[in-house]
Amino acid sequence: MAGSNSNNHPAAHDKSRNVGQFVVSPQLKTVYSILIFVGLAGLVVGLMRDPSRTWMAYLVSFFYFITLALGGLFFAAVQHVTLAGWSVNVRRISESLSAFLPFGAIAGAIFWVGAPKLYIWLDAAKVAESEVLTHKASYLNGTFFTIRLILFFALWLVFKKLLVGASVKQDENGDERLTEKMLKRGIAFLLIFAITYSFFAIDMLMSIDPTWFSTIFGIYAFAGLFQSTMAFMILIILYLHKKNLLVGIVNENHLHDLGKFLFAFTVFWCYIAFSQYMLIWYANLPEETKFIIPRTEGQWLPLSLLLLIGKFFVPFLALMPRWAKRTPTHLAAISIWVLAMQYLDIYWLVYPAKYSTEVHFGLYEICVYAGFLGVFLFAVSRFLSRHNLIPIRDPRIEESMHHHVTY
Amino acid sequence: MADLITKIEAALRGPGQKGIAGIWTDEHKLVEAARKTRESGIKKFEAISPYPLHGIDDAMNIPRSIIPYIAFAAGLTGCTFGVWFTWWTSAVDWPLIIGGKPLWSLAAFVPVIFECTILFAALTSVGAMIFLNRLPMIDPHTIDPDLTSHKFALFVAESESGYDAAKLEQLFRSQGASDVRRTEF
Repeated sequence: MAGSNSNNHPAAHDKSRNVGQFVVSPQLKTVYSILIFVGLAGLVVGLMRDPSRTWMAYLVSFFYFITLALGGLFFAAVQHVTLAGWSVNVRRISESLSAFLPFGAIAGAIFWVGAPKLYIWLDAAKVAESEVLTHKASYLNGTFFTIRLILFFALWLVFKKLLVGASVKQDENGDERLTEKMLKRGIAFLLIFAITYSFFAIDMLMSIDPTWFSTIFGIYAFAGLFQSTMAFMILIILYLHKKNLLVGIVNENHLHDLGKFLFAFTVFWCYIAFSQYMLIWYANLPEETKFIIPRTEGQWLPLSLLLLIGKFFVPFLALMPRWAKRTPTHLAAISIWVLAMQYLDIYWLVYPAKYSTEVHFGLYEICVYAGFLGVFLFAVSRFLSRHNLIPIRDPRIEESMHHHVTY
Repeated sequence: MADLITKIEAALRGPGQKGIAGIWTDEHKLVEAARKTRESGIKKFEAISPYPLHGIDDAMNIPRSIIPYIAFAAGLTGCTFGVWFTWWTSAVDWPLIIGGKPLWSLAAFVPVIFECTILFAALTSVGAMIFLNRLPMIDPHTIDPDLTSHKFALFVAESESGYDAAKLEQLFRSQGASDVRRTEF
């Protein structure tokens, strides 16, 4: 814990340590402007020429970036709840990811327009034809779907304000009671997050094949959330280091621990993915195996194997040695790889529902992803340029400054 | 019988080596002295402390443990063993058709293979730790009984290259050692 001296004069420490202020560089502005433009162009052309596929591409990227934004909020909440000291200096980075949430809410409203192209349970005629869908209609119906979407985003935005807003406020007034408040709010958020994110994953991804179900689906999505959030946070930190920011404040010890989290949730993802696969394989029930069969045949089989090898074996082996988690270039390469595999994962969950025999991947998918990435980079960089890069008046900051990993 | 007991006692006591020991009452001075000792050209020496000292690994330039690599190799061995063992028991030695699945179904055996990996890696790590620490050496030579409560020591063996008792004594004293003695450890 921080000593009494540092509590009295936290600001004095900051100046000597030169946290620095992030300024969005013209290059970054150009990059995200081009990405957003490409995304909009791809979306417009795609919606005119192949709307159902474009909405699928939209769904994959939408879910991908909502996941990252929520992952940032989730990681910050976990740090409050566990009273973590080591992570204070990286908490603002995770908070910055949640800056995408308001934009995500707009993207969600746009998605709501396209949803009938993807979900057959939104089509009253098809629901009437199928007895299963008729029975499921009490949950899978347009009105409840709309209410859920609004409720989820409202809750997430409220907790973004309660957690990130309070954290930023503490920078100004140094009020230590905010730390206690964020602990309580963090506990509430974790409970709400567990429920809302699970149902969000079910609504967005699982219901694309409304007669298939998996009770482990929510946690499968969560495993990818934690893994990809760690990867993105590591990349932001390394980018800031390149800009000569946070140097010595977030050092190789913090990276080492983020790398450990990345490693741990690589294993966790495989554990959950295998648990889902094994139970479906053992029980061998047609309504469950219909998810596995198209994905283990024809063109989808290589992608399924790539997912297993790429999302588990590659980062698992590449992150195992100690030096791997303390070498920035190595860590950056693995993080980019993991983020690519996270895309493949969501793509692999969505696309075979419609294209069960052929893999369709091309400009539409790339452009829509680029557009979302552009908005995401815009939101995150704007947040970072407007706030301190670390929570400068957090009472546990000294602990993070002296963080040291022996093993 | 008496002979055997003497031999066991000798083994548990560990190999005694003649050398020179410096004793400190301040842990920070010990860490600094360890750094100076290493810089004077002594590569291998012992630090004795009642509790773990922050930064002593770095000061003494202790290389990282090889146990992680042993654990990895043992894990790979366990994994290979698990693959072979599930195949041999279920498909070769006593083939049984269960639930209409193929005799050797990887999905069903992954948990077994996984557990074999963990079991081999864990037991080998503990075994390697005991072996590398020369445990159970329960009765080593004692330089000073206070080293288990509030004092700290550095010990350099005579066999170490560059050993010069007079020079080391001077070094230890200049680093604030409260006592320097020729002893066995």
